[in-house]
Amino acid sequence: MHPGFFKQLLLISQFELKRGFATRKGSLSVVTFVVVWYFILLYPLRFATELLVQEKGFKQDFGFLDFIGFGSLQHWPIPEFGVLWQFVLIIFPMLSITIAADQTCSDRERGTLRFIVIRSSRDSLFFGRFVGVMVIQALLICATGLSTLALVLYRDATLFSSALPNLFVITFNVILAVLPFTAMMAALSAKVKSARQATLWAILIWTFLAGIISGFAYYLPALDFFKCLIPGYQLSDLAQLSEWQTLQLAYIPLLQGLVLLALGRWIMARQAL
Amino acid sequence: MKSPIIQCQQLNHVYSGKVALFDVNFELDAGEPIGLVGPNGAGKTTLLSILSGFLRPTSGTVRLFGHPPGAAQLIGKVAALPQDARLDPSFTIAEQLVFYGRLQGMTKPQATLEASKVLEVISLKEIAQEKPNSLSHGMAKRVAIAQALIGKPALILLDEPTAGLDPINVRTVRTIIAEQSSATTFIISSHDLSELDRLCQRILLLEKGVLQTETITLNEQQAATRFITLQMETCPALEVIAKLQALEGVLQVTNPQKNEFIVEYTPVLQPSMDQKLMQCINANHWQYRQLSHGKTLEEKLFFRDY
Repeated sequence: MHPGFFKQLLLISQFELKRGFATRKGSLSVVTFVVVWYFILLYPLRFATELLVQEKGFKQDFGFLDFIGFGSLQHWPIPEFGVLWQFVLIIFPMLSITIAADQTCSDRERGTLRFIVIRSSRDSLFFGRFVGVMVIQALLICATGLSTLALVLYRDATLFSSALPNLFVITFNVILAVLPFTAMMAALSAKVKSARQATLWAILIWTFLAGIISGFAYYLPALDFFKCLIPGYQLSDLAQLSEWQTLQLAYIPLLQGLVLLALGRWIMARQAL
Repeated sequence: MKSPIIQCQQLNHVYSGKVALFDVNFELDAGEPIGLVGPNGAGKTTLLSILSGFLRPTSGTVRLFGHPPGAAQLIGKVAALPQDARLDPSFTIAEQLVFYGRLQGMTKPQATLEASKVLEVISLKEIAQEKPNSLSHGMAKRVAIAQALIGKPALILLDEPTAGLDPINVRTVRTIIAEQSSATTFIISSHDLSELDRLCQRILLLEKGVLQTETITLNEQQAATRFITLQMETCPALEVIAKLQALEGVLQVTNPQKNEFIVEYTPVLQPSMDQKLMQCINANHWQYRQLSHGKTLEEKLFFRDY
């Protein structure tokens, strides 16, 4: 690692942030996200929360929530965050596959990467782009959390102090949840020719990896461990947890992210630009 | 001791079973622009891509200023104009040039100033705030050359810098290279032999991935025999050959193309052969178009045995 590595990484990730928010394409994506999230917040999230808060028979009905896989809703002290937790665990990993699909592929096809690589290392480029995309996603995740906090405070302003830890836990966990997906897209993007191909490969690899490992694990339970290799493997278990318990599974996305980043770095180092 | 800026030893590259470069060995010193020529598919772009660090060789060793391509020590020292590479369409020209300058270690004010300077060198300062998609092919090529000039690198690798340009832009690019070549060594890959003839003092010839053993030096002042290339208006070829052949000091006259004659002579016997030729042309009332010392680069490279 050369002395200018971190400086270049920072410059490249800053440039990605500029691409994410200050270019026409970037701002259009952000506006689309804001509109979609506004409607999720206004209708499904608010109505679900109102239902949980106002429904007097809630305590008796939680068996039904358990049955449909939303049992953890009752464990969150602030219902808005319970509902947010269920939403963001599905939305952000899926969104990550789209947002992070074009980390290097279209620039490589256009030849733009050559202008960058002649004045920076491939490692700075690969990790810089990854960090940039992670920061963009982290900002979107924070924005969804803060908008939900606003909804909570609108309902009851006294909940501010108890809402902050929930907000922190959700934000931290969702950032961790998108980490392996973003790393997977970084690795795929270093190899394929377009963002579309990267997305298609991600879906195919994810489906086959999940299918093959689950198939083998059915006959050889010892192979169950390899399910840890599938990005998002922990999400269904994570959805059942609440508050600080959610950090119990934090090691899984961290390990997955490290493995996928190492793989992506290996591909990037050998890829013809 | 002056060390070479580029060293290639036993360099090989294979693309999906097809040999692109085979056992390429050469060393180049800093100085005048160096031409890299060869027919299509000869391996010129592959060689430049390996030197720039865009491609890993299958085997062999490459060193630029003593470091492998892509090494951190080469940042700011080596620049390249990759063939057909385009800037990012999402950002303005200035934003990208400033970004490149900053990656080379400049501060933001330094990089901004440098971006403005290189755009001035290519006479396109007014397009700084434009996006790449709004530029013509010629302008985009000049901007791509501008990015290579950032920070005054010691070595610039240009892959087909004039391909697809109109004559005015070709002349602009030639002027830029000539002006910058006092401080920078250029390696120019091109099909345009007249272009290289004008710019380069040394030529590397690649054929089917093999570098020809002798590099061609365009300066013939030390040679035992010299050449003059004579381009005539319509004339009786056989008579011209016979009369030129009869001049003192002339060893051989060839007629490789219609109305073009190459006179090989011994400078010791006839140091002013050009004047003798002019007198002969005048005496026979022929019309000539051009008389130039030496063979054309095309003759030197591809018709060396004749």
